[in-house]
Amino acid sequence: MSINSVPQQRSTARTIPQRRATHLTKPYYRPYIPYLFILPGLALYLLWSVYPLAYQLHISFYDWRIIPGQTSEYVGLANYQAVFADRTFWLAMQNTALYAIVTVAGQMIIGLTLAILVNRVAVAKRFFRTVYYLPVVTSWVVVSFLFVYLFSPGEAGLINFVLTKLGMINEPISWLANSNTAWIAIYSLGIWKGMGWAMVIFLAALQGIPPELYEAAAIDGATEIQRIRFMTLPLIRRTIFFVLIALMIGGFQVFISVLLITGGGPLHRTEVALTYMFDEAFGDLNFGYGAALSYVLALVIVVVSLVQSRLFGRGDQDVEY
Amino acid sequence: MIATSGSQQRILNIVIFLVLCAGVFIAVAPLLYMASTALGGVAYVQTYPPRLIPETINFENFEQAFASRNFLRAALNSGYIAVSTAVLVTALASTMAYGFARFEFRGKKIIFGALLIMIMIPGVVLLIPQFILAKNLGLLNSLPGIILVYSAGPLAFNTFLLRGFFENLPREIEESAIIDGASAFTVFWRIMLPLAAPAISTVAVFSFLGAWDEYLLALNFLTDESLRTLPIAIANFRGQHASNWGLVFAGSLTAVIPTILLFVVFQRYFIQGITSGGVRG
Amino acid sequence: MKTKISLAVLFLLVAVVPISLAQDEPVTITFWHTYNEVSAENQTLVDTLIPMFEAEHPNINVESVPYPYDGFRQALLTSAAGGEGPDLVRLDIIWSPEFAAQGILMNLSEQMPDFQQYADAVFPGPLSTNAYEGAYYGLPLDTNTRVFIYNPAVMPTPPETIDELAAMCESLPEGSFVFSDGGTSGWNLLPWIWSFGGDVTDAEITTATGYVNGEQSVAAIQFLADMLQSGCFSDGFIGSGIDTWGGYFGGTISSMLEGPWLYPTAESQYPDFEIGAALMPAGEGGHISVVGGENVVVSAGTENPEEALEFLRFTQSEAYQLAMSGVGQLTVLNSLLENEYFTNHPYYGVFLEQLQTARARTPHPAYNDIETVLGDAAQLVLRGEMPAQEAMDLAAEEIDALLAGS
Repeated sequence: MSINSVPQQRSTARTIPQRRATHLTKPYYRPYIPYLFILPGLALYLLWSVYPLAYQLHISFYDWRIIPGQTSEYVGLANYQAVFADRTFWLAMQNTALYAIVTVAGQMIIGLTLAILVNRVAVAKRFFRTVYYLPVVTSWVVVSFLFVYLFSPGEAGLINFVLTKLGMINEPISWLANSNTAWIAIYSLGIWKGMGWAMVIFLAALQGIPPELYEAAAIDGATEIQRIRFMTLPLIRRTIFFVLIALMIGGFQVFISVLLITGGGPLHRTEVALTYMFDEAFGDLNFGYGAALSYVLALVIVVVSLVQSRLFGRGDQDVEY
Repeated sequence: MIATSGSQQRILNIVIFLVLCAGVFIAVAPLLYMASTALGGVAYVQTYPPRLIPETINFENFEQAFASRNFLRAALNSGYIAVSTAVLVTALASTMAYGFARFEFRGKKIIFGALLIMIMIPGVVLLIPQFILAKNLGLLNSLPGIILVYSAGPLAFNTFLLRGFFENLPREIEESAIIDGASAFTVFWRIMLPLAAPAISTVAVFSFLGAWDEYLLALNFLTDESLRTLPIAIANFRGQHASNWGLVFAGSLTAVIPTILLFVVFQRYFIQGITSGGVRG
Repeated sequence: MKTKISLAVLFLLVAVVPISLAQDEPVTITFWHTYNEVSAENQTLVDTLIPMFEAEHPNINVESVPYPYDGFRQALLTSAAGGEGPDLVRLDIIWSPEFAAQGILMNLSEQMPDFQQYADAVFPGPLSTNAYEGAYYGLPLDTNTRVFIYNPAVMPTPPETIDELAAMCESLPEGSFVFSDGGTSGWNLLPWIWSFGGDVTDAEITTATGYVNGEQSVAAIQFLADMLQSGCFSDGFIGSGIDTWGGYFGGTISSMLEGPWLYPTAESQYPDFEIGAALMPAGEGGHISVVGGENVVVSAGTENPEEALEFLRFTQSEAYQLAMSGVGQLTVLNSLLENEYFTNHPYYGVFLEQLQTARARTPHPAYNDIETVLGDAAQLVLRGEMPAQEAMDLAAEEIDALLAGS
């Protein structure tokens, strides 16, 4: 399947049977059959995702008291007005966007480079693929603790030790004490944990490119770099787009790593949207405000994803997200 | 640089190999350091110089972790929850995806659109309303309850992923089976699911990992000590004033090793599944 | 009339049956706390104390539920929101007023008939952290404070005053620090502010202006900023991490403020290290440190108030307090101070002496926010981003608003 499913081969072959099939299969099922397939999953989804989301919207219009027996006061749009005036929230949004941009770029560049190299290497392809993927399957909770430990201050911290030995820094850095260096720790975790996923997907796309194309290019005298730039990248364009969108959505949802590494500190300078929302709701008990924050965040994510689809997905009719 | 000659080619291969090995070091060094700390004895304070291979191997931290009353129990709970979640997500997402991929019905566009939006909404946002709902349904402090909540979260994305996979499968076998009189469920169960095995295994493994790793819901929904899961048990090894990192990482390693094994064992299928879903765009 | 009688009979049945059932079947009460899962505290609680209690009360089962400290406050609030809270909680003393204000805690001075008898038996300082609007919502469970911990190998005699401490900067070896602390929480800053003679608010907790931005408070923050600037104190104050202990045991940090838990943990990794302990160095305000510890509280919504209160009484017994003192949880009972366990103890002496003058962090429902404001203001000063007076003036305004808001 891995080769068949690579887009450039599939795109033409795919549309034809699909059209044919739509009217072929139609007479063979009764009208309620599709619902039998949809409903069990949909029921669970409506109960645990859609209903809570609607309830959260309700909460966002109140000064919500969480303790049973206390009355919550309806405040209309006041929570939303406060969100737009809240400088910490916009700083957190800015941090979230920066996190998404930096880690997505890092994961994509490293993932693509690794994929090209692994595709090219003569031996141990599968070994490399497996090992690069290991960080992806580790637990976020565990690796967040681990990165706190790696980036611990003082000369005994592993990162400080390595950088000192390499002569890149003169004295140990208190990584988590300043937002600039704390971001380095948070970004590194994001990139380290995600690069293997990007690599595996790029690698599959690369493996789907027919070798004849490369041979033809080699005969034409194209250099390695030219081939990558003018042949490989355009051929896997849609894979690149898919990885970009998927990682961006993930990047905007960054939470547990920041919560466990800096908790948004020092001085809210490493706050991201979700840690700030969490802090407002559970730290300061402003559940109505936290709900409004989460709605604004969700809106921003949806808009960013749609804009990206427009910008990068132009002309690709079957891109649906 | 015209087409590279044999010896240049060989040098290039060696360079690529070495670069990849350096990458391997970066990918695994943090995990090695964790293992080394876990095996190195009590570590309230980091020792200098840091070691990727401990000087002496000692299982004191593991012994202490497993001697605590709840750690093994938490591991079993996590295993049960994660496996059940994987099964439930796989079952529900695959039937839903098949419904979207192969049938026309009223409301299809709207329902699918609603699913897509949910992919973008972070799960943390729903913590409070989900908690209140679970309480009203009597599902707090219940493993089946948390399995339902865990299964609902990844449903949207996995349905989306599997729908893409089903759409790309050729129709011919299905159609001939239908002409032979097979029901829609026979077609789904006997023909489509086996064909979709790689994608299904991806969905199963990722749902497993999601449930295995989950922290916030577990902390709030399962307050009964005997129902605790691994991430909470590990966090409980951290102290209020000081932590024995050797112990924390011994617990962590116990949580990470099964996921690595799971991945290595299933990786053939698994990687096919990720990539086929991945290149859908 | 007949219906009335049968109704009454029915009532009696409904009322009596559950009671008789309850006598047969033990009631289970839950006790939430943040003892580290594998700690000696947890083992003592689960293996010794709870069995002891259950033996005396065959009709009550106690289920102990440990939580990670970081997620505890949030888990308590969520559970209260769902009406699914525990029966008893070991609550950090700084959270008591806030939880009382939320209506989550049982008012003991009203609902526990023998409350006064227990209140009289404990240290008044820790007891005061349970007060909210004239009523008490808990009893102290354990107490602690931070004392001046120094390394005798590099600091042969501890400083009597803050000036003496500052003077030690002169003879500081390259690459090391005289003092360090991790962060600018109230726990870290207040001993300096108080010892300088400053405070966060007035005694009635009505205003911060003139206190947190008063001359002495500002001088304390300025002092810390100067010490950081000159490299005499480590930048752990503006950091977060795990290095204060590392530096102390590694010999690069000569002193810190720390609680009694330092000893058992040091014992396991550095059994040969000699730890020096003294009172917080004095300033104009004296040798003032900060009171820590926990209260034991009962949930307002508990379904088993009698059983929960019975366990609460048990936590105030000498047996309970002595057992917990043995694993680093300092007692709150006046009667135990003369007990030979404490008079002969190798290191509790200095902590008990420090407790005589130690103060509690502002007992106010908004303390969590007040601490954030204070810590953030101090951060700006210690980072050299704002003059001390300006930062503390702004903090005073914000804290005043917080005090007025509730």
